[in-house]
Amino acid sequence: MNEADFTALWLTVKLATVTTIILVIVATPLAWWLGRTQTPFKILIEPLVALPIVLPPTVMGFYLLIAFAPESIVGEFWQWLTGQQLAFTFNALVIGSVIYSLPFYVQPLQVAFENLEQGLLDAAATLGANPVDRFFSLVVPACRNGFITAGCLAFAHTIGEFGIVLMIGGSIPGETRVLSIALFEEVETLNYDRAHTIAGSLMVFAFVLLLLVYSFNRHFKLGAPGYNRK
Amino acid sequence: MISADIHITRPGGFTLDVQLHLGDGVSALYGPSGAGKTSILRLLAGLERGTGDDTINIRADDVEWQGRRGFVPSYQRKIGYVFQRPQLFPHLNVEKNLAYAIKRVRSDQAPALAQVQEWLDLSELLDKRVDQLSGGEGQRVAIGRALLSGARYLLLDEPLGSVDQAARWRILPYLARLHRELDVPMIYVSHSLDEVNYLADVVYMIESGRVAAAGSVFETSASLEFNKNESDSLAAVVHCKAVNYDAAFGLAEFSLGRQSLYVASDGPITGSGYRVRIPARDVSITLVKPENTSILNIMVATVDDMEEPVPLTGASVLVRLAVDDQFILARITRKSLSHLGLRKGLEVYVQIKGVALLTDNVS
Repeated sequence: MNEADFTALWLTVKLATVTTIILVIVATPLAWWLGRTQTPFKILIEPLVALPIVLPPTVMGFYLLIAFAPESIVGEFWQWLTGQQLAFTFNALVIGSVIYSLPFYVQPLQVAFENLEQGLLDAAATLGANPVDRFFSLVVPACRNGFITAGCLAFAHTIGEFGIVLMIGGSIPGETRVLSIALFEEVETLNYDRAHTIAGSLMVFAFVLLLLVYSFNRHFKLGAPGYNRK
Repeated sequence: MISADIHITRPGGFTLDVQLHLGDGVSALYGPSGAGKTSILRLLAGLERGTGDDTINIRADDVEWQGRRGFVPSYQRKIGYVFQRPQLFPHLNVEKNLAYAIKRVRSDQAPALAQVQEWLDLSELLDKRVDQLSGGEGQRVAIGRALLSGARYLLLDEPLGSVDQAARWRILPYLARLHRELDVPMIYVSHSLDEVNYLADVVYMIESGRVAAAGSVFETSASLEFNKNESDSLAAVVHCKAVNYDAAFGLAEFSLGRQSLYVASDGPITGSGYRVRIPARDVSITLVKPENTSILNIMVATVDDMEEPVPLTGASVLVRLAVDDQFILARITRKSLSHLGLRKGLEVYVQIKGVALLTDNVS
């Protein structure tokens, strides 16, 4: 790997980390709402959240590009808010990634929330725990596996993002040139050695991360719900 | 004192229409499954709140929990709630489940951890994971957790419904002990007459969303109307005073009004306020005083009331007898009823074969 590739690696990890943190903050309430309420709107919101799973990333990228353009409402608002343009920046990638990785974060967490027994929440309430207290003292630790799976999948999925980045980010070193773009460029310029390094590392990384997720879930499923084993 | 006035209509036609005044001691909500007992308890706890069309007024002492002016959420009601299953937090061990309650304690009068451990025999369980506990152990921990939270009212929703028969009779004395030693009113939902007779002071019979009958356990346990659907476990409960102990024969003598009742006992018993259970099947009636019988407990009684014998269905009828100012039930055959010519007001002798001392938890 040369210095440009390391810059791309650092940028990729930064993008995945920032995206995952934003998802934890923004998408956890969404997963809670989808997992615990019986509103009829759910039937509209669930497919909307799942859209990025089935759509070609270029479709999302195309609409986001239009939305982020300086003369669009979103672009103008961003300009007013920060004084910078939005398209072809790291910030644009973060917004795109949050939308693109949303289902990978929401779905495992939603399942974990759905499986949480209402009786446990009722018990916590009768013991004097208010809703916020219940969430942090009961829901988070009891759904720990769900949070870890959701976080890992969102992180890994953001690392693997390509189409959206290409559409709304381009390839500006240190700003939008992430590993998948770097790989694409190495292949285009026939630098197969460097392409191998990047592609191979991404494969190994993705495999190790998924291995961790699966083994973690399996380990803690045996004798469930023994999160507390010594 | 919790006062509740609840009028609810559910989709599908089920209505709940009850007025309750639940005071000190143990109030039992007793009735068949699906009668609305659990719904009442969940409303009292604030775990359910009804819809816009329902009228629900719940007051606890001077505080309005639910009414026109608002709704106090569960976590502010200072209640302890024991569910049908323990509902212990799976990510915490037993000790930390108890600590969860202590950390959020609502009253400076909450019992100490050491005290609760002793009452409920929890010391051996503290280090265990909750999935290592038996059903009965889990419920004991759940009861302890509710007490440690500083509950001013203890609501129990069939707490022994999911534990086996043997564990049930091991846990009931713990509950009776809490009733004695802790000044916390309990509201106890059950469909088991045995549990109700053992524990309750006041019984509300809930049938199809209504209070079908209510009264002290001594009234309800000996009421023909209240018990008309009961069969095997039917037993009247009387309260009496321990007066003597015969060590040679291992018998405790109790006074029931001016008469004596003998109950087998391993050791001396003193004091008043004992509760004795007299199964209706173990009571027989004679017109003359029986002599030379192996049965110890023979008392004078007056026929107070009896079931209308229904020809062809069922061979037996239930007779209610007054022993001084208390009542017991006898299940006898229709043939005996007609043979003895029993009628209201007739003075008879009752022989009681099986008598069981329950708790001394009469208020």
